[in-house]
Amino acid sequence: MPRYLAGRFAQALAVLWAAYTVAFVILHILPSDPITLQLSASGADINTLTPAQIHTLKARYGLDDPIVSQYLHHLWDALHGKLGMSLTQNVSVGSLIGDKLPATLLLTAVALPITLVLGFGTALLATYVQWRPARVLLARLPTVGVSLPQFFVGLLLIQVFAFSLSWLPATGHQSGTGIILPAVTMALPGSAMLAQLLTRSLSDTWSEPYITTARAKGLTRAAVQLRHALRNASLPALTLLGVVVGYTVTNSVVVEAVFSRSGIGALTQQAVLGQDVPLVQAIVLVASVLFVGVNLIVDLLYSLLDPRVATAARLA
Amino acid sequence: MSTPTRDRTTTRDRSRPSRPRRRLAVAAVSVVAALGLAACGSGSGGSAAADGGGAGGATSGGGTPVHGGRLKLAFWNDLQACIDPNQVYWIESRSLDRNIADSLTDQDPKTGKIVPWLASSWTVNADATEYTFKLRQGVTFSDGTKLDAAAVKTAYDGTRALGPRSTLGVTYLAGYKQTTVVDPSTVKVEFSTPNAAFLQATSTTTLAILSPATYRETPEARCAGKIVGSGLFTLDSYSAAKSAKLTRRTGYAWPSSLVANRSEAYLDGIDVSYIAEDSVRVGSLTNGTIDIAWPRQPISSADQDVIKRSGGVIETRALPGISTNLYPNATAGHPLSDVAVRHAVYKALDLPSYTKTIFWDGYPVAKSPLTSTTPYVADETAKLTHDPAGAAKLLDGAGWTLGSDGYRHKGGAKLTLVYLANAASPGDQLIQDQLKKVGIDYQIKVVTAAQLTPTATAGNYDLVPGYLTRADPSVLGSLLNAAGSTGYTAKYSQDAATAAKVSELFGRGLSTVDPTARAGVYKELQDYLIDNGLVFPIADRLQVIGLTKKVHGFAWTSESFLRANDLWLAK
Repeated sequence: MPRYLAGRFAQALAVLWAAYTVAFVILHILPSDPITLQLSASGADINTLTPAQIHTLKARYGLDDPIVSQYLHHLWDALHGKLGMSLTQNVSVGSLIGDKLPATLLLTAVALPITLVLGFGTALLATYVQWRPARVLLARLPTVGVSLPQFFVGLLLIQVFAFSLSWLPATGHQSGTGIILPAVTMALPGSAMLAQLLTRSLSDTWSEPYITTARAKGLTRAAVQLRHALRNASLPALTLLGVVVGYTVTNSVVVEAVFSRSGIGALTQQAVLGQDVPLVQAIVLVASVLFVGVNLIVDLLYSLLDPRVATAARLA
Repeated sequence: MSTPTRDRTTTRDRSRPSRPRRRLAVAAVSVVAALGLAACGSGSGGSAAADGGGAGGATSGGGTPVHGGRLKLAFWNDLQACIDPNQVYWIESRSLDRNIADSLTDQDPKTGKIVPWLASSWTVNADATEYTFKLRQGVTFSDGTKLDAAAVKTAYDGTRALGPRSTLGVTYLAGYKQTTVVDPSTVKVEFSTPNAAFLQATSTTTLAILSPATYRETPEARCAGKIVGSGLFTLDSYSAAKSAKLTRRTGYAWPSSLVANRSEAYLDGIDVSYIAEDSVRVGSLTNGTIDIAWPRQPISSADQDVIKRSGGVIETRALPGISTNLYPNATAGHPLSDVAVRHAVYKALDLPSYTKTIFWDGYPVAKSPLTSTTPYVADETAKLTHDPAGAAKLLDGAGWTLGSDGYRHKGGAKLTLVYLANAASPGDQLIQDQLKKVGIDYQIKVVTAAQLTPTATAGNYDLVPGYLTRADPSVLGSLLNAAGSTGYTAKYSQDAATAAKVSELFGRGLSTVDPTARAGVYKELQDYLIDNGLVFPIADRLQVIGLTKKVHGFAWTSESFLRANDLWLAK
C-alpha cells in the first residue's frame, strides 16, 4: 500500500509539472510581448517609451533573460509559492487568486451535493421504476441535461426564479441565497453525466447473477437496489465525480459570467483576453492542482472501497 | 456667437410629450448660453450657471428630497480594474470618482462653460501658458487634511509623475512645466507650450485633487483603492470588477456652483456592482434589485420599453469627446493611401440608416468626428451624405473597376479593407454590407484585446475604431495629432505634409484662449480632417441609463458621468 501511494503521488507531481511547462511554452510562443500588453492594459502605447524605459521595465519583470533561465526562475518561484505580478491588474497574482478562489470553491461545494442528489436520484428512479414510459423518460432526461448549454440554463433560471417568481436573487454575493441559482446551473451538466453513467451501470448490475440470488432470497426491489446494486454500480461514478470537481475552474467561467459572480472563472476570462501571462500561468497551475488533487483522492478512495485496485497495482 | 454644445439631445423620455419643466430648462439654457462664453477665460461667473444647472440638472425632480437610503448602481464591466481618478480612463470608474474626488473647476453640461469649484476664481494669461487659481476656503479631504496651494501642487506634480500610466493626464498636462505655491490659497500652474484646454482639464476627474497622503502610495495601491479625496462620498471599498462601496461624507459643504444641494448628499451611500449580461441587468432593474442600470452600449429600444413599462425612466446624453470613428491606414501599399478612395468611403457609408438599424429611429446621427455634446463641435453633415453613385464614380476614376464578382479590382488586386477590432458588432457587419454595395470588400478581423495594440502598432490594418471621452475638442489630438500622440491612429492616417498641417491646427487650438476664436480654429480643424479623409465618423455616442421610479434628482456632469449630489431615493 505505501508503495502504491508513493507511486500515485509521484504521478500527480509529474502531471503538475507537465501542465506548468506546457502552459509556459504556449504562453511564450504567442505573438506579442508582455511589456506591450501591460502598457496597453494601462492605456499607454509602447511607442511612448524610450528604449531605456523599455529596458528598465523588461529588467523589472525579468524579461531580458534567456527563455530557459526565465523558465527555471519562474518554476523555482512557483515552487516557493511566488507567482509574480499580474501584468494587467497592478496586484500580485497570489493575492488575486487568494481573493477570487474562495468564492469559486464555495460555489463548487454547494454544487456538489446538488450534483449528487440529482444524479443519483435520477439514476435510481430510472432503474427502479417499472412503468415503461416513465423509465424511458427518466433514462433520456440526462441526455437533455448534458446537451443544454450552461449559459442558456443560467439565463432561464434567472428569468424564472429571479425575475418572474422573485424567489431568489439573480446576482450578488451579499445574500446567502444568491449562490443557489449559480450552483444549480453549475451542477446540472455534472449531474446529467452522473445520471447517465449510473443508469447504465445500475442496469448492467441488475442483470448480474448475484442480483438474481438476492431476489431469490426474497429481498424487495428497493432493498436489492440500495444494498446490492448501488454499491457496485457507484464505483465508476466516483471517477466521474472526480472529473466533475476537477473541472471547477472551467465550469465556473460561464456560470460566473452569467450570474455576475467574481471568482476564478471571471478572472480566467479576463486573464486570457488580456493575455496576462503570469495570471494565466497561475490559473493553469491552480486548475491542475485541483484536478490532480481531487483525482488523487478519488484514486485512493478507490483502493479503500475496492481492495482489488491496490492489489492489482502491486502485482503489476 | 454660436452655442458650443448641443445638449438638446438630452431627453428624459422620448415617448412622453415635452413637459413645462423641460421647456423651462431649455429657456434657462439659452439665457445662460447668452450670458455665458464671454466670461469663459476669466472665471468670474458662476452664479448664473448655478440656476441653469440646478433647473436642468435635476431632471427627475418632483417632491421634496428625502434623506437616507443606499443607491444600488450596476455597471457592465470594469476591465481597466482601477479606481484612481488620476490614472483611470475607464468611464464607469470616472463616474464614481466624480463623487469621491473634487476638482478645481467644474464644467456646465449645458454650455460647456467652466465654473468655480475648489477654486473660487482664476486668471489665464493671453498665450495660455500661465493659470493662477484662488482656492476656496474651508475645504478638507476626508482624512482631515486641509486643501491648500501645497496640496494642489502635490496633486498636479503627482499626476504628472504618473507619466503614461495616466493615459488622459499625459494630454491634459501637455507642456506642463511646474506648479508653484504663491501663497497658501493661491497656486500658479505654468506650461512651456500653450495649453488652452487646461482650464477644461482642471474640471475633469483626471485632474481631481486628492489628499497629499494619497501621493505617497504607489500607483498600484492607488488603482486598487487607496485614494482620499474631498468629495461628497468616501470610498469604503473597491474590488475590481466586483463591487465598490461609497459612504456619505459628513460635513461636505463645497459642491460646485452647478449643484442645487449645497450640503451633504441625500444618500447614505452607493453600492456598485458589475453585471455583464444585458438581460440580467435590465431584469435586475425592473424587479428593483438595482436602482440604476448603467451599461456602456446604448440600452436597446426593446429593453428601454421593458424598463418604461415597469415604471422606470430612461436618461440619455451623448458622451462628449470623440465619436465612434474609424481611422484609416493611409500609408503606401494600402488602398486608403489614395484620397479618392477615402472620399468614396464617406459616400458609401449611409450613417442615418446605420443609426436607425443599429440603435433606433431618433438616435443622433454622427455629424462630426466629435460627438454632439462636445464644445465647438461643427456640423459636417454635408460632407458625410450617402451617395453610392458618387462613390462608384470616384472609385472608377481611381482605377478600381468593378469585376464580375461584385468587387472592384486594380492591377489584379481586389479592393479589400481590413477592419481590425477586438470584437465584431452588428454595426461592423452593416458597414461591411454598405461598402459591398460599391464594390469594397470589407473584412472584419477580430483579435483579442491583448493583440489589438501590437497588431495595429505594426500597421496591419486598413481601418481601426477609436473613441475617447472628454468635454473639449482638443481630445481629438489624442488620436489624430502625430505631434502629441505616438499612437497608431495618428501615425498611419497622415503623410508628413498632412501631419504637419494637422499638428499646426491642433497647436493653434491649444494656444487660442478666446472662445470665438477657438470655435473658428476647431471648425477649420474638423473641416480639414473630413476634407482630407483622415477620420470616418460612424455614430454619435449616447450614454443611455435606466432608473427605477424611486430615483430622483438625477444629473449628468459635462462629461456625461454621474453627479450624485442631488440624488435621492423615494421611500
